[in-house]
Amino acid sequence: MKLKGSYIAVVAAAAIVIAFPAFLGAYPLNVARSVMTYMALAISWDMLLRSGQISFGIAGLFGLGSYASALAVLRGGMNPFASVLFAAAFAALVAFALGFAILRLRAMYFSITTLALMEIFRIVMQNLHDFSGGPEGVVLPKIIFDGYSPALYWLCLGGLFLTIGVSWYFEKSKMHLALTAIRNDETSARSNGVNIFKYLLIAFVATSALQGMMGAIQVQSYGFTTPDTAFDANFLMLPMAMALLGGIHSTIGPMAGAVLLGIASEWLKLKIPYGHLVVYGVIIILVILFMPQGLFGLARKAMRNRRKAGANNE
Amino acid sequence: MSKLETVGLTKSFSGLVAVKDVSFHMDEGEILGIIGPNGAGKTTFIHLVSGILMPTSGSITFKGRDITYAPAHVRSRIGIARTYQLIHPLENLKVIENVMVGAVFSKDKSLKAARKSAEAICAELELDGLNRDTTQLSILEIKKMEIARALANEPEVLFLDEVMAGLNSDETKQVIATVQRIARERKMAVGVVEHVMGVIRELTERVIVLEAGELIAEGPYETVSKDPRVVEAYLGGAA
Amino acid sequence: MANKRNATLVVVLIIVAVAAILVWRPTVLINGIQAAGLYASIAIPMGLILGIVHIVNLAHGEFMMVAAYVTYMLCIATGIDPFLAMLPVALVTAVFGFVVYKLTIKQALKSPELNQLILTFGIGISLTQVANLIFTSQTRKISFDYVSASVDIGDLSFGVFKFVYIVIAVLMVVGLRLFLTRTTTGKAALAVGQNPRGAAIVGIDVDKTYGFVFALASALLGMMGAVFITTSSIFPAVGSPFTMKSFCLIAMAGIGNIPGILGASILLGVSENFLKAFRATRGWADIVFFVLIITVILGRSIKGKKA
Repeated sequence: MKLKGSYIAVVAAAAIVIAFPAFLGAYPLNVARSVMTYMALAISWDMLLRSGQISFGIAGLFGLGSYASALAVLRGGMNPFASVLFAAAFAALVAFALGFAILRLRAMYFSITTLALMEIFRIVMQNLHDFSGGPEGVVLPKIIFDGYSPALYWLCLGGLFLTIGVSWYFEKSKMHLALTAIRNDETSARSNGVNIFKYLLIAFVATSALQGMMGAIQVQSYGFTTPDTAFDANFLMLPMAMALLGGIHSTIGPMAGAVLLGIASEWLKLKIPYGHLVVYGVIIILVILFMPQGLFGLARKAMRNRRKAGANNE
Repeated sequence: MSKLETVGLTKSFSGLVAVKDVSFHMDEGEILGIIGPNGAGKTTFIHLVSGILMPTSGSITFKGRDITYAPAHVRSRIGIARTYQLIHPLENLKVIENVMVGAVFSKDKSLKAARKSAEAICAELELDGLNRDTTQLSILEIKKMEIARALANEPEVLFLDEVMAGLNSDETKQVIATVQRIARERKMAVGVVEHVMGVIRELTERVIVLEAGELIAEGPYETVSKDPRVVEAYLGGAA
Repeated sequence: MANKRNATLVVVLIIVAVAAILVWRPTVLINGIQAAGLYASIAIPMGLILGIVHIVNLAHGEFMMVAAYVTYMLCIATGIDPFLAMLPVALVTAVFGFVVYKLTIKQALKSPELNQLILTFGIGISLTQVANLIFTSQTRKISFDYVSASVDIGDLSFGVFKFVYIVIAVLMVVGLRLFLTRTTTGKAALAVGQNPRGAAIVGIDVDKTYGFVFALASALLGMMGAVFITTSSIFPAVGSPFTMKSFCLIAMAGIGNIPGILGASILLGVSENFLKAFRATRGWADIVFFVLIITVILGRSIKGKKA
């Protein structure tokens, strides 16, 4: 019964967000797209985090996807829609190749290396003048769906749904056991048959593909990109803050964090043009210091305590 | 026929030899005691056999297959499982999920099938409250959970590294009885590292004695315990 | 034996390479060493923290940015020279570092490394953005005549002022060495770095030592930030690239090896300026560092596996 209830709730929520363009104008749809992009990145960052690996390379794969898609259209004459899939596949391939080297690293060494890779991607794009347009970036001949904003919204929503779906699969399948076991205790995981490298590679490739896909959707929706926009550190920082605030190691936590922070930041951007991002920094600090479980972790704890109190009263 | 065999197994850490030239074997259905004073290399030996550490030289064969350098997860898949001296719970997984890990990854079971077999194993070990967090467990329950997880790998060879440490004598007896029964039913070979000699005497048919990384005696406990070298090793260790 | 021969061979090769560059493009070496001094003197305080407190402070570059802005304000307000401002700025940043340590980092010392990384990352973002709020993203610069001092040797003319950085770096290396080996506080800090639990048992106050090391490192970084404004314009994000560069140099040298940081900096500085010497590769100079960091980290991980 309970399962059926939540199933209906999910379908209803999905129906409402799909119907947004019916009653929202271009500006709110634009805001929604930005929130959804950050949400998808937050979820995908969290998916790898479930194995204990902190990637600082989200912006790198996002930017790589943007460029793969834009250049496929511009230089290869690819259909824009196909280029989104191509970008996802390209990011996955790059992650697969890099994974063999960097997934042997742990903790800060992994994090710093992913950050360095992001910088390398950016510098390469900045310097391949003839191919990638150099620091000025690339401009596409036209925006996908001719810039029709409901269609752009649905495209982005599609990317988000796919991300949520993969994340949900990670939570419900044996990926959940594998990644949690790796995060908690690699020795124990190994001696219970978990092929650590294999599962890290699956998680790294899958999340990279999703990040690349979101980058491609972004570039096709705006029609241009530059090294500084594609590899903007905000695409790393904001998703991290969102996932932390909502609660890491889950799908729902990063989603909640993205809605809260995404809308808050749109509002703050109007109020404080310079430095509104300080809110993100402060949130990261406060969450780490005072509620490392995030909002959903707190809620879960409160519920458990109430249940316990109820049991004691009986 | 022996299930597991090592020949001249040696491990040194930058010059310090922890296990030296150990040749041993384990047969189907036998319970083997592995004893020796503190620091004799018992745990290192199990690390080598289970693939947590790689040997410096020597060889390990399992059912005739060379597994000297096979990674740990491969060994657990082909049938070598173990527990750890220091507890290793997976604290972000429920008790039942902890046990399922072994079944899912070593035996490629579906989550549903793994849950079923994990429940059966836990019932046998009289471990309940399977939907709890591991932080809510007593030390006895954690030990049982870790034995259950090892058993969920459906091993042919199982090593228990001081599972009785921290348990009182009643609890120890209970765990011993269960291990004996399961080993017999499944025709498993079990290697037991233990400091309490009463446990070794009661549980094992044969023991090997390690001292300073070397195998110094082998045979039934009653004989080995009278061996002058063994007496010397223990007295020397105590002094 | 073979090791020794290899080492000699490497040294000879390096000397030949350096000599060749010196003859062919002396500016590569001069600029390289000047850049190396800057890198090293920013990285050394981070190395001190990493070696003793075992925390990767991802806000390291932002600490220097704070020092640079403090110096800038001080110089604008009073008209004094940045070199005179060094001491008061060091005092301010020492207090600043100590307070940040007490309020945040200390609380996370026992948390998983993940939390520490994200925490200091968050501190870095906050500092940059606060600077953005106060100063906006506009770049600021004060010019000083002495910065353009130059020397002519034959047809070669080059600026000498930037050698001040390598002087600072060498002073830091020597000073820290004396401090860590000759003074009681220094010896205690070294002991805490090697084994905090053991140090606590023999009666060293670990928390106090950590706080002191943070303050000391911040003071050194503060002095560096003061000098930094003489040669560079400043903006809120000016410090960020130095965090990663510093970490890379420390990883190359090996944690705890402070003189090694200087050597690694020279390697990085010279290679970067080597690429900058050609028009075709000028834009690629930045990549040297990132390729170097990945090579070093991967190399270390493979070596670690084998050992």
